[in-house]
Amino acid sequence: MKNKDDHLRQLMQQALGGDKRAYATALSETMRLLRPYLSKRLSNKTEIEDVLQEILISIHKARHTYDGLRPYAPWAFAIAKYRLHDHLRAHYADHLRFAAELTEAENISASDVTEIPFSYESIKEEVRQLPEKQAKILHLMHSEGYTAKEVAAQIGMNESAVKVAAHRAYKVLKKKLHDQ
Amino acid sequence: MTNSTEDLIASLSERMEPIKRPANPFALFLKWLAGSLAYMGMLLLFFGLRQNLLIKFHSPLFLAELGFLASIMITSALSAAILSFPDIYQKRWLVFTPVLPLLLFIATLFIAWQNDNPPAPLPPHGIECLACITMFSLLPAAFMLFILRKQASTHYAIAGSIALISAASVGCLTLRLSENTDSIPHLVEWHYLPMIGFGILGLWVGRKLLKW
Repeated sequence: MKNKDDHLRQLMQQALGGDKRAYATALSETMRLLRPYLSKRLSNKTEIEDVLQEILISIHKARHTYDGLRPYAPWAFAIAKYRLHDHLRAHYADHLRFAAELTEAENISASDVTEIPFSYESIKEEVRQLPEKQAKILHLMHSEGYTAKEVAAQIGMNESAVKVAAHRAYKVLKKKLHDQ
Repeated sequence: MTNSTEDLIASLSERMEPIKRPANPFALFLKWLAGSLAYMGMLLLFFGLRQNLLIKFHSPLFLAELGFLASIMITSALSAAILSFPDIYQKRWLVFTPVLPLLLFIATLFIAWQNDNPPAPLPPHGIECLACITMFSLLPAAFMLFILRKQASTHYAIAGSIALISAASVGCLTLRLSENTDSIPHLVEWHYLPMIGFGILGLWVGRKLLKW
């Protein structure tokens, strides 16, 4: 572990001197160092990759605060922990917001979100005019045939949130079609 | 967000430029201290020293009060500078250096209050002192926050709080050297207790200005 840290420290010293290849290697090694840490704390692969990328960007932004004279791993982990907490805070804030909407979601039966009383093809144009996320959810569910759970896993949302978004999209579509 | 992490690494390393002088908390601290001392000197030149300052220098309690107040100013500035690094510069113990001078300062005030017999007369003013301290502290606070903002604090709220306490102690120290008041209840109420308020305000300021 100490040898690995010394190696990373050397790479960062070279990187701070302007060596782009050493910097690329240091970032790749950092990625390998941090991935197990994130895997233990996050379950979704896309989420892990997103947070990892945010951490690498943060390391790049904060690189002037590392002088190459002290151990590298505690510095990188401090940034990783900070970004992870930021991510989790945002995630749980989202969760709370959706929890408030769960009552709405609970009233939606499975058939409400997977069956619509008209063909998807016939309302494709209206779907395109919906907000991007809602349109994507409807496309995946009705054109590709995924379930709400599968869509949730694909786009990194939770299932209830997908159901709520789909339900809202139906409401908008219903109103639009009704007006026509 | 870039599609793959490898692409991101390639793009970040392409943008890597040499860092001529990596940030150092001690250099930041010294920069702030030099600026604040020069500013204090200018304020004292403008407002003048208290008339009985030389006599007061014979009072050990007055000297201890000033000494510990100056220590709070110095150690909290160092603590804030250390806190502006993501890993606290791997010198966590330095963050706690203001604790001892703060405790000694409180003890000194307590002893001074016990010895304030007969009590020094209460000055007719009160809030004016707080206004002066606030005004005196504004520039050091702005300078400190400007320095800290360039770093990457992962403890931004505490860093903001300690930075404002340090700046407030510059104001308190300047006023103590300039104002002819020795009433301990007045000093506690209008000079020193508001420092806690500055600390609380700093938590909010830190969240707003130092988050990155």
